[in-house]
Amino acid sequence: MLLVVTYSKAARQTLRNVCNGHDEAVVQRLGRAALLEPTRLGAFLALRLRAKHAGDVQIERTDPFNEFRDAPEAVRRAAAAYEDRAHPSTPYRAFAAGTDHPDPSAMAGTEL
Amino acid sequence: MRVRRSTETRTGRAIDLSDWNVSADVVGDAVRGDDSDGLAIACPPPGPVHEHVGVIRPRIEFSRRAALAAAARSRGRTAPQDGELARIRERLDALDPAPVGLADARRRVADAEGSEAAVRERVATLQGRVQALRETDGDPSDAEAELADATRRLADLETERIAAEQTLARARERARETRDARRERLRLRDRADNLRRRAREHLADALGPAFERVRGAVPGETPPSVTAALAVARLADLTAPIVIDAEAAGFEAPSAAATWLDAPVIYV
Repeated sequence: MLLVVTYSKAARQTLRNVCNGHDEAVVQRLGRAALLEPTRLGAFLALRLRAKHAGDVQIERTDPFNEFRDAPEAVRRAAAAYEDRAHPSTPYRAFAAGTDHPDPSAMAGTEL
Repeated sequence: MRVRRSTETRTGRAIDLSDWNVSADVVGDAVRGDDSDGLAIACPPPGPVHEHVGVIRPRIEFSRRAALAAAARSRGRTAPQDGELARIRERLDALDPAPVGLADARRRVADAEGSEAAVRERVATLQGRVQALRETDGDPSDAEAELADATRRLADLETERIAAEQTLARARERARETRDARRERLRLRDRADNLRRRAREHLADALGPAFERVRGAVPGETPPSVTAALAVARLADLTAPIVIDAEAAGFEAPSAAATWLDAPVIYV
């Protein structure tokens, strides 16, 4: 899908207008951003916005996320284990300390 | 105040132009300093109140809350939001996000990928041809030379593509920083809009009771919107003239209007 993010009032308003007028190309509206269908119409609408508002429009292409392909097992296990923790107030860093679960800063420094 | 058209000049605090056959809007433009229809008016510059009730026509339309807030400001009133608004304006002035220009870098990557794919295909074709010639005892030397050429070219193009990708990655990093500034600017502008609305409400509320009193004291029979406009004009502290269409207001003479409004008046 195409993720369109706006960074000015004028660009945000144009995005709203575009989304109102082209329901068929909009997957999801998110305030000053929107997910557009990965179609030529989606690209056309995104490029129209950029042509009008230049640097105040960011366009990214999103990829489906498959955790079994994109994320290592340790990360998947840590997420599941943390959501299953005994005390809801335990921060993840404390939860992971002394276990095999990965440290948050180590995860932050490692690309998928 | 002095009004001049060609050789004729009129001066005073209340000026009657009803015999000049000019429209209220034309005179309003002239008050703002736009030399319209050869009409030139020497007067103090109009303020924010004039944007709402500077020209009073029989069917005047204006936002009462915004006009009242402007009138309150003209009398030196302030709103509790003023301090934060000033700080936000300073921060906005200090924010100057660099332009985002990634298109060239994106195009270089796309072009490099395209050229590389074409040559990669040619290398595969040539490899097939060399192998076929060897298997059929043909002379592969020409094809081998072509293959060597294409392989060298492919290596060059790979290098170019990698360089283009790195350039784009660095440009994206820089764009991220300028987008942080743009996001902050948008947040501050939204906050400023919100504060301005709240300040306007505060100021309009502050002048509300006075407005109701003055509205009840407007002389003559006038349509409700004209009555409201005259009341706002009287409440405001004005130095630039108010233009009044004679058909709209119920004053006996321009001088009566100037006295009641405590402001310079031009009648048309």
